[in-house]
Parts: sequence; structure tokens; C-alpha cells
Amino acid sequence: MNTAIETHELSKRYRRVRALTGCTVTVPQGRVCALVGPNGAGKTTLLRMLAGLASPTSGTASVLGGAPRQDPGFLSEIGFLAQEIPLYRRLSAEDHIRIGARMNQRWDASLAHTRLAELRIPLDQPVGTLSGGQRAQVALALTLAKRPRVLLLDEPFAALDPLARQNFLATLTSAAADAEGGLTLVLSSHLITDLERVCDHIILLAGSRVQIYGDIDTLLTEHKVLVGSNHDTAAIERTHTVVQAVATAERSTLLVHLNGPVTDPAYQAEDVTLEELVLAYMGAGEASAAKHLTTVGEGS
Amino acid sequence: MTWLVWRQYRAQGAIAFGLLAAVAAVVLIDGFQMAAHWHSMLVTCAGNSACLEGQPLVGNGVVSDLPYVSLIVPVVLGMLWGAPLVAHELETRTSDFAWAQSVTRTRWLTIKAGWLLLAAAVCGGALAALTTWWSAPINAWQGSAFEPGPFDTQGIVPVGYAVFAMALGIAAGTVARRTLPAIAVVLGGFIGLRLLISDVLRPHYIAAVTHYYSLTSSFTPPTSAWVLGQGAISRTGVVVPQGWGSLGYVVPAACRSLLAGPATGKGGSMSAMFSCLQAHGWRGFASYQPGYRYWPFQGIETGIYVLLAAALIAVTFAIVRRRDA
Repeated sequence: MNTAIETHELSKRYRRVRALTGCTVTVPQGRVCALVGPNGAGKTTLLRMLAGLASPTSGTASVLGGAPRQDPGFLSEIGFLAQEIPLYRRLSAEDHIRIGARMNQRWDASLAHTRLAELRIPLDQPVGTLSGGQRAQVALALTLAKRPRVLLLDEPFAALDPLARQNFLATLTSAAADAEGGLTLVLSSHLITDLERVCDHIILLAGSRVQIYGDIDTLLTEHKVLVGSNHDTAAIERTHTVVQAVATAERSTLLVHLNGPVTDPAYQAEDVTLEELVLAYMGAGEASAAKHLTTVGEGS
Repeated sequence: MTWLVWRQYRAQGAIAFGLLAAVAAVVLIDGFQMAAHWHSMLVTCAGNSACLEGQPLVGNGVVSDLPYVSLIVPVVLGMLWGAPLVAHELETRTSDFAWAQSVTRTRWLTIKAGWLLLAAAVCGGALAALTTWWSAPINAWQGSAFEPGPFDTQGIVPVGYAVFAMALGIAAGTVARRTLPAIAVVLGGFIGLRLLISDVLRPHYIAAVTHYYSLTSSFTPPTSAWVLGQGAISRTGVVVPQGWGSLGYVVPAACRSLLAGPATGKGGSMSAMFSCLQAHGWRGFASYQPGYRYWPFQGIETGIYVLLAAALIAVTFAIVRRRDA
């Protein structure tokens, strides 16, 4: 399978703030990848570096076989939609479609027209007068009209109500289906529930670092929740990696990354949901980031 | 790309064009009237310069202030069009839209900045052409357009000012990333630099001609010249400018008795004082830039502003290309 996105030790620092640290991930072509993490985890920074809008402090990124760069050939392959849904507020959707036609060699104006007509979004009104959901749809239609091979969407649902989310997701899934595997999508959100239905791949960031990444189904089979009455977890930790441990008076609940079968009879293994997995790793990532900050503080 | 510039600026452009047309209409009407008046004066006075000087030429107060109004046009264009060019896109994040299309930032900036710099040059040039044409009778009447004021509003220098102010606005907006501070930089920077260059640098583009003469005679620099200074100078280099107000502080002891007259305004003899000064080694001097240097000076000043504008635009390109959006 071809790789659409590959990063190696990609890092970004804004003055003294580490926005992203040592990010090494791959996303195969044709995947719909969730980029999940708490606010400030580095999701926007990673997407902007992949889109060529920001440059790495260190490390490398490769998108469709080349480093993100200011070059018409590269830019025409990438669709990027920023969190703020940037559009010229006083211009209409039709104006934007014309601008796109003049700023792109490859431009499918009829695609944008069709999608906006289906959603009954007025083409001639200034986009500043449209609702947040309509604006997001206009911006998405414009991004899709580029016919990109990699589509990077930063918090696309942030401003949308549930119905608008549903419409937006439907547009995305149909675009991915139309592309027949030629479109790789990366969507960021701080809530996995937004993305769970459409994504088959995940990158989880917390505390500016990658916690896990990979195929969602594989990750789910590699992890189990172990429930038992035994408070001594040393035996489990010898074979498996404990991501999260919650202990009450009666029982311990461990979320573990498996390294083989669970043989300890004191524990019962249960399947893990994506949300449980994400929350466990987010918690672990935040804790290690906090520990790191404390260490730095003590050192200075 | 050009269409994007057109779509973004067409309303403002129409307003600017309308204002320019209105100004042009007023100036043309007034200019033809003044030209007719000047011709009738020429006929009446039949070449008698004293007769010409005795008659007022400019009657209409509003239009006669026009050259000074035109001085603020470049800075207004720089503030309203230049400062937001990059800064407003960054503020509203529309740069994320523009820079994610398949056009390099270099090309995006070339086209946007190129059109606006051209618009500034056209506005500056049109106003300068109008003012120059309108001022022709006044220039003829005064024999010169070299003095500060006429020099700053006529010829080609207004084009340089307009291009520079626009470039300053674009660069300031790019560095500051916000429109409002950039507007302040244009206002302060443009006015400050204009004053600095016109007051400090301009008199020295080419070394001034200094003519020395006997204080017992008189000397009038050519009317076409820009007179930088005239007065009396002692052997040791003490200067008393014409008007003689400061004479009392430096007059040699031997001539002091003659001071009562001119210094107190009691009608003492100025010519006796000049004879006395002359006898003690003082000379009259007149320092001026001859009229034939008018166009070289226009060229030098325009060149300075265009070069500064080019430097600012180069900085803008470097920042826009390298900056993280």
C-alpha cells in the first residue's frame, strides 16, 4: 500500500513553546485518518506543516512523496481547510468559485456548484451572511473543487450543530467514495466521537507528542481492558504494557497493550472501545507531559 | 489572480476614481479661468514685471489649497490600501484560503502588490499632472516651481511619494501582521521621512551655488532659482541672514554706534551700516540652487523614494515567502 503521509521526528517550536515534538507517523493512501488530541496537543501545527503553511523546526515530513513546499504542483494536490473556515466575508460563494478557477490549474467548478445546489446554499450572497454550517459547506466545497489527493481538515466540526455535522460528514464520505481510494483524508478533533464513524486510521497526540497511531481495528485488537480483584499489577506489567490503571477497593481495571495472551486467571479480559482507548492514551500523554514540565522546572 | 485583486478592490477603486474625476473637473474649470486671467494680465501689463507683480493671480481659495491637499493623498492610499494588503488577510485568516490554492505566495504577492503599486503611481501621477498644469500661470508669475511646496506637488516627485507610501503600508502590514499598527507606521513614517528628506537632504542633492558680493552693492538671485539663504557673512564666518534681526548680537564694535537705527527701528541708515560692515571685512552672500537643476532634483528625489519602496517590497517578499502562515 502506498504511503500518503510520512513524518519523521517532525518537531515545531514557537519561541520556547513546543508545539509538536518528535512526531513520527505514517498514513497510507486512501485512508480516513482521525487526528485526535486535547486542545493544544499540536494537531493544528501538524496539519499546517503537512499543508506547507508552516515549516518544521526539525525533522522531516513527506506528503505524496515530497516535502510540503510552496510550489504549484504540490499545492494543487493538497486541500487544506483551517479551523477558522477562512473565506472573504464580503464575497459570495460564486466569487470564491471564480477565484478558485483562477488560482488553480485543476479546478472542478461544476463539482462545487452541484454540492452547494444540493445543500440549497445561495451562491450569490456574501458568505459573511451565511450560517456557520453553510460557510463550512462552502469552504469544503471549494476545497474539494481543487480535487486534492490529500485533504487536511482542522477541527471541521467545531462550529457546526449536529445536523450540519451530519451533512458535512456525508459530503466528506461521498467525496472519499467518489475518489475511489485516491483521496487521503486527515480530520482533526478533540472529540473522537465526531470522527469514529468515518475514520479507519488514527493519530493520537497529547502533550505535543504522538501517543499512538495506526489502523483503528488493529489497535482495538491489540488492546484489552483487564478487570480483576488482584491489586498487584506487577505480573501483568511484566508481559503487557499498562496504559491506564484504575483501582477501587474491590477491583482493578487496567487498559493494556497486549504482548501475547492474558494468562493471569485473576483478570478477565474485555474488548476496548475506541473512546476508552483514546481517553486512556490522552490521560497518559498529559501525565507524561506534566511530569516532563516538572522535570524541566526543577532543572532550571 | 488579477481577477481576485479586481474583485477585492473594485468598490474602493471606483470611489478613488470618482474622487479623482471630481477633483480633475474642479481643477480644470479653475485652471482654465486662471489661465485666461493670466493672459489678460500679460496683455494689460505688456511685459511690465512691476505691473504683473502688483496684481493678484489666484482668487479661488479652495482650489488654491489643492496642491497641499494632494500632499496627503499618497499617505491616505498607503494607509487604506497598502497597510491591509497582507495584514488584513492574516487578521481574517483568508491567507489560509489564498495560500492553500495552487498559486505560490510569491506570485500571489507579485500580482496583488503590483497592481496596488501601479494604482498608487497612477493616482500620484494624475494628481501631479493636474497640479502641474493648473500651476503653470503661477509658476510663470513667480518664475519658479523650485521652492518647497510647488516642488513637492508638481513634476514627477508625487509619483515617487505615492509608490513609497504604498510600499511602506504593504511592508508595515506584513511585519506587524495587523492593520491598525501598520496604518500608524505609514502615517508617522511617511510624514517623518518626507520632512527629513525635504528639509535636510534636498538642499544638498547637488552642492549649492554661493555668490559673494559687496554689501554696498545689491544682488538678486535669478527668479528661477531656489534660494537657500542670503545675508551677510563676516571674515570669521559669522552669518547674519537677510532680515538682519540677529545683527545686534554679532555686529563689530566699530559699527555698533550705527545699530540704534536698524535694531530699534528708528530709521537709522542701513546703507551706513553695510558700508561699515564691508569696511570690517564682511561680505554679502547668496546661496541657491539654480533653476536648471529643477529636473535633476526631481529625478534624484523620485529615485530616492522609488529605491526605498523597492527595498520595502523586497523585505515584504522575503517575509511572506518564509513566514509560517
